[in-house]
Amino acid sequence: MLASAAPVGIVVVSHSRRLAEGVAELAAQMADPSVRIVAVGGAADGSLGTDPDGIVAGLQAADAGAGVIVVADIGSAVLAAETALELLGDGLAERVRISRGPVVEAAVVAAVQASIGQSLEEVLAAADEAATMDKGVAR
Amino acid sequence: MASTSLTVRNPSGLHARPLALFVRTAGPFGASIRVRNLDRDPERQADAKSILALMTLGVSNGHRIEVTAEGPDAEAAVAALRAAVEAGLGETLSEAPSESRHEPRSETPAASRDEPPSGGSS
Repeated sequence: MLASAAPVGIVVVSHSRRLAEGVAELAAQMADPSVRIVAVGGAADGSLGTDPDGIVAGLQAADAGAGVIVVADIGSAVLAAETALELLGDGLAERVRISRGPVVEAAVVAAVQASIGQSLEEVLAAADEAATMDKGVAR
Repeated sequence: MASTSLTVRNPSGLHARPLALFVRTAGPFGASIRVRNLDRDPERQADAKSILALMTLGVSNGHRIEVTAEGPDAEAAVAALRAAVEAGLGETLSEAPSESRHEPRSETPAASRDEPPSGGSS
């Protein structure tokens, strides 16, 4: 469970650059500074959208050797991440996992679990499970 | 095995940010560490190295938690977590409830909680 090497990295993919950066900022506040958290938001021209090439660059920047968890917002963000994996096409793609979790919760949970050196599969499981996070809403 | 119970004084309880620090404090220890909320559902245990599990404990300001560790470094793990919680997990803590809070404190200094000198160093 305790890795001696570098922690798992995180790429936040959103249709909005500002949203991706804000989620990454929030996650980084909870994380050990050694965890690489990279925001990839918006289309290549800066408009709302997704950019597989930008995600490829983000994955390369986030990987410190232990792999990368992708947390994505809605719709085609996951498709763009999958396209990025095809573009990568080599060793790194084998240690990238796309989380099913909601982007904010999954990013925060993944950042914390990566901070204590958990493995790629352990961090993925936690990020997926982040959908169940209790928000403490009294009703 | 090592165990301690302590009262949480974070104004908003143990929400995401303090819990993140709690997990990162527990993480380096090899010991298996469990946390219970003695004031809510003492039957439920959460893994101290899982922020999601800890969130399910619903620890509010004033709740008592129990931290139990098993393993070679259990004592050190419990001591580190106790120190981290007592230091506020990165937050400024609420005042501990005290009956003597509004009374003159010159009479029974030994019975009251530690107060910083009124002058302070800064």
